[in-house]
Amino acid sequence: MAVNAQAVSSEASATRPRREREQELLVWPDLVFVEFIAAMVFTFMFVLLSTMLDAPLLNQANLDITPNPSKAAWYLVALQELLLHMHPALGGVIAPTIGLAIIGAFPYIDRSNDGQGTWFGTPNAVKIILFSGAFASIFTVALILYDQGRHVNVITNVVQRSDKDWQWPGKLAPFQNVRSIQTGWEWSIPVPVSAQLGPGEHDGELNWPDDFTHVPMPFNGTSGPDWMRWGPPTFLPAWMQAMYWYDLNMNTPAFVVELFIPVAIMVILPVIMILMMRKLGWIHTMRDGSIGIFTGMMAVYFILTIIGAGFRGAGQDLVMPWDVPHID
Amino acid sequence: MAVSEQPPGPGLTNWLSEKLFHNYIWRSIFRSGYPSTPRNQMLVVATNVFLHLHPTRLHKTHVRITHTYCLGGITFFFFLSLTVTGVMLMFYYVPAADRAFQDVAALETNIRFGMLMRNLHRWMAHGMVISVFLHMMRVFYTGSYKPPREFNWLVGVILLTLTLALSFTGYLLPWDQLSIWAVTVGMNMAGTVPVMGQQQQLLLLGGFEVGDAALIRFYTLHVIGLPLIAAIFMAVHFWRIRRDGGLARPL
Repeated sequence: MAVNAQAVSSEASATRPRREREQELLVWPDLVFVEFIAAMVFTFMFVLLSTMLDAPLLNQANLDITPNPSKAAWYLVALQELLLHMHPALGGVIAPTIGLAIIGAFPYIDRSNDGQGTWFGTPNAVKIILFSGAFASIFTVALILYDQGRHVNVITNVVQRSDKDWQWPGKLAPFQNVRSIQTGWEWSIPVPVSAQLGPGEHDGELNWPDDFTHVPMPFNGTSGPDWMRWGPPTFLPAWMQAMYWYDLNMNTPAFVVELFIPVAIMVILPVIMILMMRKLGWIHTMRDGSIGIFTGMMAVYFILTIIGAGFRGAGQDLVMPWDVPHID
Repeated sequence: MAVSEQPPGPGLTNWLSEKLFHNYIWRSIFRSGYPSTPRNQMLVVATNVFLHLHPTRLHKTHVRITHTYCLGGITFFFFLSLTVTGVMLMFYYVPAADRAFQDVAALETNIRFGMLMRNLHRWMAHGMVISVFLHMMRVFYTGSYKPPREFNWLVGVILLTLTLALSFTGYLLPWDQLSIWAVTVGMNMAGTVPVMGQQQQLLLLGGFEVGDAALIRFYTLHVIGLPLIAAIFMAVHFWRIRRDGGLARPL
């Protein structure tokens, strides 16, 4: 039996109208010459560039001398920038991998054929691009400035004009940057002594961040109340014991600062952005939403690259581009 | 393939073209006559191994520069140019920690056009990363990933990753402070991968820090491993453009 190969392709692609011959050009010369000219133009441009601008070559590699700052290649600087604000596995690997997966998934999310082959394609595309680009850029810059504690400097400078001795109040310590939620904030909740978790003082209080760094996972052997302590699973073969959660504590303050808050921000901000544009009546289709998300991702990558490459000085401190030390 | 031609008209140019392009040797190489007639123009595209990546005809919107800005083609051009300049650099470069830096320095001072080749290779590598990004943005904003081109978009994302990997592995080879620390930073990122991180880092570096073993691994990946994989995916990418009905255009 003959198999109809067309039957497996989607209906949308099968209904494509036949091309009209009068709208067609011959590849030779109309395309091949354009390609040839483009290749020539770029060859000349790059030969010219290469005669004028030399590729950098610093001193011989030496692992004993660490340049400050040491930076990744420019297209990875965005990830290096993320590392400053979140857990290294999240910033350097998980978030970019998910980002790449989302980019790869666009055709499977936006499956309609509308607007294909035309720039922007939907009526609101340009508005969506401008809005999501601005939204992503502004929030990226604002979040970096916040995590760098720049608002503390600004507010302190302003207030010190009227009150010379003013300091950032202790009560607001956790709001200097994200990390200070872990380091600059102390509070406790009273609990029955019998339910006291953690290896610290069993004083009837759970203290942030001391006691919360030892929230035991189930079947924990070393900390936590008696009812949670189990002996090591000796009945299992040794290799299975090695995979067991026994003796594992969760560092809650670090988890909140390094994983929970960054993930929440990376999920909630795009959702808010999309909802705002829906409220504005700009987003009607998956294509509209995809344009918003894609533009936002590109804008974040671009801003992170600019800041990482141009504004990070010694110790990855946020400085102006002319203050970034020259490495040789 | 026998191709019938019209008899040449009078005049010197016609006589010359007849002698140059319609002789036995020319025919043995190109099969078709000189592409001056529509028939020969289609034959030259269809019968040439390089040109036959193209269709013989295409819609007129596809040659409009603002439709594609030639970005995919430019990326491929960068890949080819990088292969040529890369081969030139390989003549003078030995991937060993005690030699690599001197070899690159010698390229700049002792070898005629060495600096030019190195500069070209460097700037075109940056150019390729940029053009790959721009090409992705062009394809996205023109909705060219839409059915039936879903899978080709995915191949493109893989090619983007491969381009970055090619650039990253090449970054180490000059063996200067810039390269070793950029790669150290990059490898520390790779080392944080949950579960597999340390093993992956060890696999790529061949040790616990960026040294001789890492240099030879990066070199091998850079000059043969990754280009080969990229070439395979490029072949699939170009093939799928044809199979999926050429460039996307309004329905």
